[in-house]
Amino acid sequence: MGVLFLDIVTTAAILFTVASGLMIILGVMKLINFAHGAFLAIGGYAAFVTTQLGWNPWMAIPFAAVVGFVLGLVIERVIVRPLYARPLDAILATWGLGIVIGQVITIVFGREVQFVQSPLSGAIEFLGQSYSTYRLALVAIGAILALALIALLYFTRFGLNARAVIMNEDLARGLGIDSTRVRLTTFGLGAALASMAGALITPLISVDPNLGLPWLINSFMLVLVSGVSIPGLIVASLILGGAQVLVSSYVSAILGGLTIVVLAAVILRIRPQGLFSG
Amino acid sequence: MSRKHLFGAAGVLAAALAFGSGGIASAADTIKIGIPVGLSGANSVVAPSVVQSAELAAAEINEAGGVLGRQIELVVADDGSGAQGAQKAFDSLVFQKKVDVLISMETSAARNAGLPIVNRGRVPFIYTSFYEGRSCSPWLYVNAWVPDQQVAPIVDYFMGELGAKSFFLIGSDYAFGRGMLEFTADYIDEKGGTVLGDEYLPMDGTDWTPIISKLKASGADALITSTAGGAPNVTLTKQLRAAGVDIPYGNLAVDEGTARNMGADAAGIYISASYITDIPSQENQDFLKNMKAHFGDDLKTPNDLSVPQYEGVYLYKLAVEKAGTTDAQAVIDALDDVSFMGPRGKIQMNKQRHAPLTMYLAQVQADGGIKLISSFVDVDPGEQCPHL
Repeated sequence: MGVLFLDIVTTAAILFTVASGLMIILGVMKLINFAHGAFLAIGGYAAFVTTQLGWNPWMAIPFAAVVGFVLGLVIERVIVRPLYARPLDAILATWGLGIVIGQVITIVFGREVQFVQSPLSGAIEFLGQSYSTYRLALVAIGAILALALIALLYFTRFGLNARAVIMNEDLARGLGIDSTRVRLTTFGLGAALASMAGALITPLISVDPNLGLPWLINSFMLVLVSGVSIPGLIVASLILGGAQVLVSSYVSAILGGLTIVVLAAVILRIRPQGLFSG
Repeated sequence: MSRKHLFGAAGVLAAALAFGSGGIASAADTIKIGIPVGLSGANSVVAPSVVQSAELAAAEINEAGGVLGRQIELVVADDGSGAQGAQKAFDSLVFQKKVDVLISMETSAARNAGLPIVNRGRVPFIYTSFYEGRSCSPWLYVNAWVPDQQVAPIVDYFMGELGAKSFFLIGSDYAFGRGMLEFTADYIDEKGGTVLGDEYLPMDGTDWTPIISKLKASGADALITSTAGGAPNVTLTKQLRAAGVDIPYGNLAVDEGTARNMGADAAGIYISASYITDIPSQENQDFLKNMKAHFGDDLKTPNDLSVPQYEGVYLYKLAVEKAGTTDAQAVIDALDDVSFMGPRGKIQMNKQRHAPLTMYLAQVQADGGIKLISSFVDVDPGEQCPHL
C-alpha cells in the first residue's frame, strides 16, 4: 500500500513539473506550445552539458532554466510575436519550431543516447519502504515549484499583470498594462520551466533528441483538465497520475499508458472548462 | 518555351539518356551489393556502423583483386527503418539499380516488407541483423542470432552459477520484445525455473514505476528484460537503478555502445551477444585495427549489428567464387557451403539458412567496459526453416 501511495505522489509530482511550463504559456498567451517537448529536450541537453563540464549535477537545474529562458525570449520575439493576430498559425509555428530544435540538437550532439550524471542515486528507506531517492526529491522540488509559481502569480506585479491579461487582454491593455511585455516574459518563463523540467527528469529517462515527445501529449491533457490554474494542475496531476499508476498496477501497464489521455477526454466531456476554471 | 527550344531540350535529354545507358553498361563490370538500411528512423543510431562494416569489407576485397576479377560496388539505400521505406528501397535496388545481392541489417518490419520484392526480383538476400527468428524465403540467408541462441546463455548462467530459481520479465510491447520474452519464459519453464511475472510498456512509454514496484513486490531472484533498443532501454535501466533494484539483471536488448553511454547505471548488467569488441581472437583484433585505420576518428564502434554485415559481404564473395558466377540461383545454392572466419569466429549459414554461432556472455563494468564471462561455442539456431 505504501508503495502505491508513493508511486502516485511521485508520478503526480513529475507530471506537474513537466506540464507547468506548457500551462503558463497557454494561460497567458492562449497559445498551445507544441515546442514544449523540444524545450524539455533542451533542458535534458543542458544537463548533459553540465555533466560534460564537470559541474555539480544540481547545477543542471538553474543552468537549464537560464538556457530555456534566454531561448524562450529570442523565440518569442522572432517567431511567435509576428503571429499574434493568427493564433492557429502560431500553434503551427511552434510545431515546426519543435522539429527545428530537435534537428539542431541532432546535428550538434548526434542521435545517440547521452550519459548524464544524476544528482542523487539509489534508494532510501521511507514509510517502511525502500524507495527511489530521486523520485522522493522530485516531490519536494515539485512542491517548491508549485509554491513559487503561486507566489509569482498572486503576489507580484508580474503576476497581477499576467492574470489581468489572462482575464481580458483588451481591458488590461486599456488600463496601461504592456501586454506585449507580459507575453514576452511569459514565453520566456514557460520555456525556462519546460527546460528545467527536462533537466529534472534526466535521471529517469534517456537523453536523446526526442526525449520530450512522449511527455507532450500527457502534458497537454493535464493542462486542459486543469482549467489552466496552478491548484487545478496539482489536482489534475494527482487524479490522472494516480489513475495511471492504479491502472498500471492492477490492470496492465499498457492500458496504464492510455489512462491519462482517455480519462482526460472523459473529464473534459463532463466539464469542458476543466476542473478549476470559472 | 518556343517549339525550337523544346526540341533542343528533347535532344539534350535524349543525349543524356544515351550517355546514361552507356554509363550503366560499363558499370555492369562491377558486382553491385544493395544495402537497404535504416539511415533514418529507429535504426539511425546503428546504421552508420553497419555501412562502415560493409565499406571495409568491400575495400579489402577490391584491394585484393575483387571477386572473379570484378570490383565490388556498394549501393546504400535508406529504408527509413520501417515497412514503407523498405518497399521503396528494395524496389529501387532490385528493379532499378539491378543489384546482384542484398546484404543488410534492418528492422523486422523492413525485412518483412522487402521479402516479397526479393522473391519477385529473385535476388539473394543475406540478412545480418539478429531478429525474432523463423523468417524463411528461398532467397534469404541469415548470419545473425535468433532467440534460441541468445537467451540460453543468460538463463543457464543465472540458474547455474548464480542459483536463481524465480524470474521476472519486463519488455516493450512490440513483436520483438514479446517474442523474446515468450521464448525466455518457455526456456525457463523447460529448465525448471519459475516466471513470477511478465510486464510490458508501450514503446513510447517512459514511466516504469508501477512495473518496478511489482518487480520488487514479487521477490524474484533475477530479472530479464527485452525492450526496444535505445530510449526505452535506458529509461528502464535508470529507473531500476534509482529504485535500488540489485538482483541479477539480464538485458536481451542492450548493445555494447548503449551500455557504455548509460555509465554507472548499466554496471552489472549481463548481456548475451554474438559479438563484443573484447573477443580475443586474431581475426577480431585485425578487424578492429583495420576499421580504425580505414575510418580514423569517424569510426563508429563495431557492434553485434554491424560485424555480421562485414562477414555477410565476405560470405557472398566466397559463394560467388564457389559458384563461379553471380547467377542468383547458383549463389543461393553455394551460400550454405561456404564458411568465413570472421571477427565473431567461424560463420557458416548451413542450419536451415541460419548460422550456428559462438555466443558470448558478458557483464557491463562500472567504468563502462564489458567483461567477457564465458563463451558458448557453436550454439545451434534450432528449427528455423525446416521446409527449405
